[in-house]
Amino acid sequence: MITLLKNGKLYDPAHNKNGVVEDIYIRDGYIIAKVNAADKINQTIDLTGKIVMAGAIDMHSHIGGGKVNIARMMLPEFREALKQYSEPEAHICTPNCSHHATPTSTETGFRYIEMGYTAAFEPAILPINARQAHLEMADTPMIDKGGYTMLGNDDYFLRLLSDKTDQKAINDYVAWTLHATQAIGIKVVNPGGISAFKFNQRRLNLDENNVYYQVTPRDILKSLSRAVNELGIAKPLHVHCNNLGAAGNFQTTLDTIQASDGVPMHLTHIQFHSYGLEGDKKFSSAAAQIAEAININKHITADVGQILFGQTVTASGDSMMQHLNARHASPKKSVIMDIECDAGCGVVPFKYRDQNYVNALQWAIGLELFLSVTDPWRIFLTTDHPNGAPFTSYPHLIRLLMDKSFRNEAFAKLNLDAQAMTNLPSLTREYSLYEIAIMTRAGAAKLIGLKNCGHLGAGAQADITVYSEQANKEAMFGQPDYVFKNGELVVKDGKVVKVVWGATHVTKPVFDMSVEKNLKQYFDKYHTIQLDNFKISNDEIADNGRGKLVSHSKT
Amino acid sequence: MKVASHKINCITATCPACGLLCDDIALENNNNKIKVLTKGCEKAVSFFEQPVGDTTPLINGKPATLQQAIAHAAKLIKTSQQPLFAGLSTDVQGFRAIYNLAQKTNASMQHMNAQSMTRNLKVLQSSGWQTTTLTEVKNRADLIVCIGTDVVSHNPRFFERFVWAETALFTEPHRRQIIYIGDKYLKTKHGQQPHGYSAEHIQCTNEDLPEILAVLNALVLNKPIKAKQVCGVAIDQLQELADDLKDAQYAVLAWLAADLDFAHAELAIGQITQMVSTLNLNSRAAGLPLGGSDGDTSANNANTWLSGLTLNDEVIEHDLMVWVNSFGSEKSPKISEKPLIVIGNNSAPLPRSRVPSPAYGRGLLMNDKGQGQTTSAPQSQDSPQTPVISPSPVSGRGVGERSDAAQIPEVFIPIATPGLDCSGTLFRIDSSVVLPLMRVRENALPTLSEVVNRIEALL
Ligand code: SF4
Ligand SMILES: [Zn+2]
Repeated sequence: MITLLKNGKLYDPAHNKNGVVEDIYIRDGYIIAKVNAADKINQTIDLTGKIVMAGAIDMHSHIGGGKVNIARMMLPEFREALKQYSEPEAHICTPNCSHHATPTSTETGFRYIEMGYTAAFEPAILPINARQAHLEMADTPMIDKGGYTMLGNDDYFLRLLSDKTDQKAINDYVAWTLHATQAIGIKVVNPGGISAFKFNQRRLNLDENNVYYQVTPRDILKSLSRAVNELGIAKPLHVHCNNLGAAGNFQTTLDTIQASDGVPMHLTHIQFHSYGLEGDKKFSSAAAQIAEAININKHITADVGQILFGQTVTASGDSMMQHLNARHASPKKSVIMDIECDAGCGVVPFKYRDQNYVNALQWAIGLELFLSVTDPWRIFLTTDHPNGAPFTSYPHLIRLLMDKSFRNEAFAKLNLDAQAMTNLPSLTREYSLYEIAIMTRAGAAKLIGLKNCGHLGAGAQADITVYSEQANKEAMFGQPDYVFKNGELVVKDGKVVKVVWGATHVTKPVFDMSVEKNLKQYFDKYHTIQLDNFKISNDEIADNGRGKLVSHSKT
Repeated sequence: MKVASHKINCITATCPACGLLCDDIALENNNNKIKVLTKGCEKAVSFFEQPVGDTTPLINGKPATLQQAIAHAAKLIKTSQQPLFAGLSTDVQGFRAIYNLAQKTNASMQHMNAQSMTRNLKVLQSSGWQTTTLTEVKNRADLIVCIGTDVVSHNPRFFERFVWAETALFTEPHRRQIIYIGDKYLKTKHGQQPHGYSAEHIQCTNEDLPEILAVLNALVLNKPIKAKQVCGVAIDQLQELADDLKDAQYAVLAWLAADLDFAHAELAIGQITQMVSTLNLNSRAAGLPLGGSDGDTSANNANTWLSGLTLNDEVIEHDLMVWVNSFGSEKSPKISEKPLIVIGNNSAPLPRSRVPSPAYGRGLLMNDKGQGQTTSAPQSQDSPQTPVISPSPVSGRGVGERSDAAQIPEVFIPIATPGLDCSGTLFRIDSSVVLPLMRVRENALPTLSEVVNRIEALL
């Protein structure tokens, strides 16, 4: 079976194709270079005048696992809002819609594919809760998925570190955890802070000791980023810095960049970590300093975590900072958990308002970062779904980046004090289609280490999105003409025409199995489940044939 | 997993009989007969050693083939205007299957533990809460307050596994302080320190809990109380408890929704979670909801990610009930004149002769309120339904003698029990830990998913 996509205008940054008109051949779910004269073309789709990109990849979106489900459980009012629309078809979601902050697993898959996204990565899998994350992702149709496992606040690792165990033992433990939890990357959230909160510490700075273990966040970051690097894991350590959301936290972020010591590191949702202390309200934008540091340090990548106005819910592993944030909850409720000597979580509903000084400035800070970081290969388009805004607002965000006058109009509606505290109007940059394709496709695939995704070259998984060029980029990116998943046409005119189930991407670095000896002793003594039950088997991911495991290695 | 049935096999298995999901149970499979060797509590022994029972499906009490039973069930579901899928005692895989069928047939869903689950969910949805999980309790808790429950009546191994552990990371387990607040019938001896002090017991009726907890909350907030006592409890005693809570390194306030069986019990739970929030302003404390099973936590989690909403306890109009009951046969739906399909465990035989209609079922609804609370029905997580069918060799308790007048289902399909006859996946009571269940004995019983998929194919 060969499908020919004819005459499309290709935006394929992995192959330096910036609007080149070319044909694409698909066979058995993959893109092939060209066909032999003898091959029969079974299906031809004329894409003359259409924009063609690889399927988009969301490299950071909370799509599965405990905290997302807690958010759904505690916020039935979000669904009630949805019920009010008698005809769901007739309703087009806007950034102000609350219900998509907690989509079901099915809706998650459908909304992503309808926007031309063919993969999404859950960035905060608690090792002990990984089975739940995978169960939810298994019930998420249409897209590929995968996740980053959280380490650095688990007592096993902190004991190794405070005992000054050699790096090899730490590397083995990190690799073992990746295998056991079926993940593709490692994340650290508020390094040492989630653990410190359990010992009643309320804030933790980069060089401050966890009171019990007498290790600092800097020690934790160094050890984990070194492990990730030495194990040859493509995805750099995913870092949610200390002091999330706190005024003045930009210094922690700068110090963290400096602490990386040249080893690749990814700073996630940096918008929430770029706050200064200036002005009457002691809350200001430090986006310029952060962007400059990223521009200079070529081994650093970041995603933004843009906020957009409206109702959402914040769901984070950062129990320490979410406990502080809970007083701003709207509606007024929150869930904070200490979890299994492994991690924690905090779920706090939140409404971002354009007339609120802090929220308005957060919005501007995110955009300042997007526009001031010069290399689109090292900055990624995220809203930290659902924390800054639901992922369904991506088309709106893309328009803000590509359309200066649209951005200026939105800016004019902001809280006036906030307007005075940002240099956003002076940033006249407009993202090009090519740059958007880098951020949302080629760059994301390269960052995670997905060789067959994010591009349109031979050998690529045929995940392809086709748009009609429109001046209104929100409309354009909100409703592609066609989306192909593994070569099959699954979306036509923005509507799903075929339901498919994507694969789960993982990485399985080599390690020394003897690490299990100590782990087993530790589990038997302190944990409350058997070590063997902690491990998720390949069969569980395969889910009787509906799921599929794709393992990547860095070569 | 393939189990060799011709010889003796030793297996370490996970027990789904209560929300603790102990995964250290040593079993012996001798010619397909299971014996619990070590670690199992009484409940676990009842679960693992239950007989396979009659595997023949029944239509109106008469033996039928699986295909006939499935076809008959499909016919009833197809003609129903408002089916209700109830019981819902199953694991994640089974729930997914039944959820899909409910979607296709426009059916409502309700879990057999809906009442107790809803008590917790009301609090979660109105104020949220701050909670902890079992490994944290084991390694950190230096003070545990059991409120309105002795825990062990539902979760027999709670103290053995999580409290009186041999070692812990951050506390001396043998010196933990245990305090009970509640009924004089609570079995408090499990809270006694090994070779140490017995647990303190602040006695009151469960109905008095909201008032007592309100006073305790005030004391934790340093508000002066003029009275000398509340509901018979000395204020001094509560003041001491308030001080202990504030001084604790990691205080755990445990409750068990099924035991808080009185009107507006959610107010008592709300008082507990409020107290935890207050304590956390200066020190560390956490709530711990306990109890659970019949797959309730799994069903509720899966329903939430699949539908966006939790299961609830609303009274649901229906014209057909499909009762799903995988883990044990002792719980049955309330008797009604509406047709009934039972898909479930068959460790206890069902009545085979149909009581002459229309009298059947009438007046047989036994009192389901107040009967057999913690003292007389320790095995029952939540007792909205009176057992009417089961002679219950499984539970070994006297209640629920088989009544010849019990409702005979239109269709009964025996299915595999996850963790015994087939593999599966279950959530622990704290929702954070999810464990695989193993097949430990061999038989031909179909899984719930297989039965449901075959029904679906006929619709
Ligand atoms: S305590 Fe609960 S889970 Fe553990 S063995 Fe007993 S019934 Fe099974
Ligand atoms: Zn909407």
